[in-house]
Amino acid sequence: MLLFGDDGQERLKKAHIFIAGAGGLGSPVSIYLAVAGIGTITLVDRDVVELTNLNRQILHHDRDIGRKKTVSAEEKLREINPDITVKAIDTTIDETNVGRLVGSADGIVDAMDNYPTRYLLNEVAVKKKIPFFHGAISGLYGQATTIVPGVTPCLACIFPKAPPREVFPVVGVTPGLIGMVQATEVVKYLIHDGRLLTNRLFLWDGLESHAEEIAVERNLSCPVCGNIPPVTMPARKKK
Amino acid sequence: MTVKVRFFARFRELLGTDILVEKKSGVVLAALVKDIAREKKEGYDAIFDENGNFREFVIVMRNGKRLEPADTATVMVAEGDEIAVFPPVAGG
Repeated sequence: MLLFGDDGQERLKKAHIFIAGAGGLGSPVSIYLAVAGIGTITLVDRDVVELTNLNRQILHHDRDIGRKKTVSAEEKLREINPDITVKAIDTTIDETNVGRLVGSADGIVDAMDNYPTRYLLNEVAVKKKIPFFHGAISGLYGQATTIVPGVTPCLACIFPKAPPREVFPVVGVTPGLIGMVQATEVVKYLIHDGRLLTNRLFLWDGLESHAEEIAVERNLSCPVCGNIPPVTMPARKKK
Repeated sequence: MTVKVRFFARFRELLGTDILVEKKSGVVLAALVKDIAREKKEGYDAIFDENGNFREFVIVMRNGKRLEPADTATVMVAEGDEIAVFPPVAGG
């Protein structure tokens, strides 16, 4: 492993990553974190695989239609990497269980399809000081950012109000691309290398094949993270 | 003075982007964006509500700093400002 060596691989092996959602974003994120050798992956989803999911939710195959996504996901991830622990939990994330579900994970990946649940995950991330890897997509548009509680703006700082619920059109390449940004961030965070996507919102416009980033900053009167004193990012390892 | 207005994602599809606006000084940010958006009703309706305020989920940034929706009605734009307006996406 020339990229991060035995030490980095060991860090991945010891890590526990919580992935909220086994759909369009959760599929590529979980597959790449599994093959990277993340020791423990917890994946939560409540849905059943439908035909219309298959253009993007690459964890699930035609034969899985009608099966729980958790069952399908666990099966695939175990096949992909039998050396890791996969816990797939079939439930709806809500305010009563989110803290328990996340437990003491080293990172939370936002692979949800709605803001109310994202805000719940964000609150738990802030409360437990667990990094939160945000991603969202619609059609050929995507966005991602890495939230380190106390250091960066939280999700509620950046998006104080949820956009209205919509039936979003999707082509699988967009969650694939945004999911790869999120998985890259998780790996970098765990091996303590590189510059994280912190204080920056990555915006992808697939129609234009154009990426850019916008600087984002903490809202010190944010109802979720405003009471945390600002801290600076710990120095990252130099190679 | 010249101000650049950038729309993203669906807003860009409706209204274009990197729009350079020549204005005399003393223009409020919301009014400037509204003037551009009025060129296409669908674009205007996507960004502004029935009272002419930015819809609450719309992100408005001036030179990389996010503005509170209420402040957009009072903040004056200045020469060289870059205004970004975009909708967060929600899917996964």
